Amino acid sequence: MGSRWTWRLLALPGVIWLTVFFLLAFYAVIAVAFGNQNTLSEPVPFWNPLDWNVGYMFDTLQNIWQGDQFLTVFVRTFVFVTLALVLALGIGYPVAYFAARHAGRWRGLVLLLLILPFWINYLMRMLAWINLLSPDGMGTRFFSSIGIERLFLSLNLLSERGGWLEGQPFTVIMALTYGYLPFLILPLYAALDRIDQRQIEAARDLGASPAGAFRRVTLPLSRPGILAGLVLIALPMFGDYYTPDLVSSSTKTTMIGNQIDQLTRQGSEKVVGASLTLILAVVLLGLMFYYLRATRSADDRAEA
Amino acid sequence: MAHPKDHKGISRRGLLKGAAGGALGVGALGLLAGCENTTTPIGDCAGGDGSSNLVVPKPVGPGGLPLPRPDNAVTWAITSDNEPIPDGVPDENGPLGIYNYADYLDPSLIKKFEKLTGRQVKLATYNSSDEAIAKLASGAVAFDVIIGLSGSNIVNLIAQQLLQPLNHSYLGNLEKNVWPELQDPFYDRASRYTVPYVVWSDGIGWRNDKIAADIAGMKVPWDIFWESHAYTGKVAILDDKRDALSMPMQRDAMRTGRRPDLNTEDQKIVAQAGKDLGQLTDICNVKVAITDYQTLPEAKTWLHQSWSGDLLSAAFYYMPKGVPPSVLSYWAPDVNGVVQNDFFCIGKAAKNPALAHRFVNFMLDEAVAYANFVDFVGYTPPQTNIDAELLIKKGLIPKSLTDAVVRPEQFPFNQELLQLSVAGEQYWDEAWSKFKAG
Repeated sequence: MGSRWTWRLLALPGVIWLTVFFLLAFYAVIAVAFGNQNTLSEPVPFWNPLDWNVGYMFDTLQNIWQGDQFLTVFVRTFVFVTLALVLALGIGYPVAYFAARHAGRWRGLVLLLLILPFWINYLMRMLAWINLLSPDGMGTRFFSSIGIERLFLSLNLLSERGGWLEGQPFTVIMALTYGYLPFLILPLYAALDRIDQRQIEAARDLGASPAGAFRRVTLPLSRPGILAGLVLIALPMFGDYYTPDLVSSSTKTTMIGNQIDQLTRQGSEKVVGASLTLILAVVLLGLMFYYLRATRSADDRAEA
Repeated sequence: MAHPKDHKGISRRGLLKGAAGGALGVGALGLLAGCENTTTPIGDCAGGDGSSNLVVPKPVGPGGLPLPRPDNAVTWAITSDNEPIPDGVPDENGPLGIYNYADYLDPSLIKKFEKLTGRQVKLATYNSSDEAIAKLASGAVAFDVIIGLSGSNIVNLIAQQLLQPLNHSYLGNLEKNVWPELQDPFYDRASRYTVPYVVWSDGIGWRNDKIAADIAGMKVPWDIFWESHAYTGKVAILDDKRDALSMPMQRDAMRTGRRPDLNTEDQKIVAQAGKDLGQLTDICNVKVAITDYQTLPEAKTWLHQSWSGDLLSAAFYYMPKGVPPSVLSYWAPDVNGVVQNDFFCIGKAAKNPALAHRFVNFMLDEAVAYANFVDFVGYTPPQTNIDAELLIKKGLIPKSLTDAVVRPEQFPFNQELLQLSVAGEQYWDEAWSKFKAG
């Protein structure tokens, strides 16, 4: 009896935390999105669902439906985030794989090096890139010396030499990838590390080539890690607005986060900003739902 | 009057009613037709009085108050529950709470004031006027002196009763030093609640060592932005909806010789300005930023819609080694452009009102205002002793930045970006959001 209550009490801080900082805060956003505004352009939340005013939400959805600016930024955000996820996985998977399976006695060090970027604030790392990618910056010179600059110029991903910060969509995608990569690698590392070595050996014994064993054993078993890592970095990427602001600030790289930031911070459209926030949240909720289903089915398969 | 946002008023109740009355499953428009229209913005401003509901069929400002315009000067009332402090009150003990934009006042002058009065000063900063007003309205902190708000916020400040009226007997330097043009401004007749701090213009800042075109000599200098393909990636406009959207309006006016209304509430004109601005996305991949004072000196941008003060602070502090400030140029129109001033106010809830008056008067001192200008902010104080020619002679600023020192005679022929009605501001916000989406 006593111990049961102890456990419940231990859950209390978490419950309070979630209630105050998630549920209540989220309900406040809903109440604003379905509220109105006063003549000072300040939002007036409608707390009672029976009073909810769907006008602003309707307007915002109509804007998306009709292909106006909110659709533009939604599509652009999806493209940016998807490309950044592909890039991050392409870079992160080999790194995590190496750290988990081949680093040997250097594992501790490799892991430490992977965690190191966490010590520095995201914003600071982005600001560092501004210096690195300025026309005479070290990064720019490096990209130029190894031919990446020429490649990007020929692919039309860069408008001129040294122009990385001149409002290039690809710079934003790279910055997003760089900024969130460590958060992908860690869960991936954990998943890969958990894989029982003997299963891979069994695959090899049964005649699978190294590539075959990887494709049929390692990859499927690391899928929960891949999904967890991708979800972990996709969510903040969708809401990111300072990365495009810092490395581009061009209208060609405006993401949904920028629009929400702009609408809610200044001016007379704060309720629209809340509606947009809610729409984004619902979309992300859909993605989370898919993730949960996917991991559950992976778990089921693992148990079977 | 059909307002395009009218359907924002439908309540869920209305929707349900509509659905019950009509056939279920009709399109959204069908639903709309059957709905009651609760309200457009509801008029319960915090701290406002009943008069806010007496709507006049003309653009009306926040809280139902009139919108000051040069042809509609407004005297804000002094109410019995909010009167100026009496004459001759001794300084309170402080600390004096100042609320200002970040980096918008020379910290060494604050120290000087502390030494002079023996009172401590506490500075808090804000990043946007909306943020400032929201914090003031929340009453969480009682600031004594509020710096940096302008005619684009005045109605909001008055409607929410966030300011206290000033006692001019403490402000001798106002009459003594400040331009007569700003002694009795139309947005606050008799300077009852505000005192001018600095003035600025909207103009073009550029690198004359990178751009050969004689921008100031062009028939319509604003056209340079639409002819800037060669400088793709190095062109930026101000990240402020009013300043940015008024730029194509000014360009239009210069081309046609018509006088623009930079405070227009005509949705078509505002939307057109947004579209014109949107052309810059393809022409030069335009950036939207307020870092001109850094990016122009570093040549990260070559052509920037700028606030006059930013060019001067760029020249004063931000030039990299070996780059002379004379590579910077600034142009602002003589007529039909934007010339505006920020002000000092004293918070209604000020705990040190007499000390606050003293601080404002201190800042209006000739030597103090001059030091704040050339040693720190770069924004011109509206003081009679400021003379661009003299600054050039002293070698403080290059000749190419003469225009960045604002002159009193610019005020009557240019316009201030003033507070709009809620509906009007929505047009600007929509156009701005569309433009920024690229």
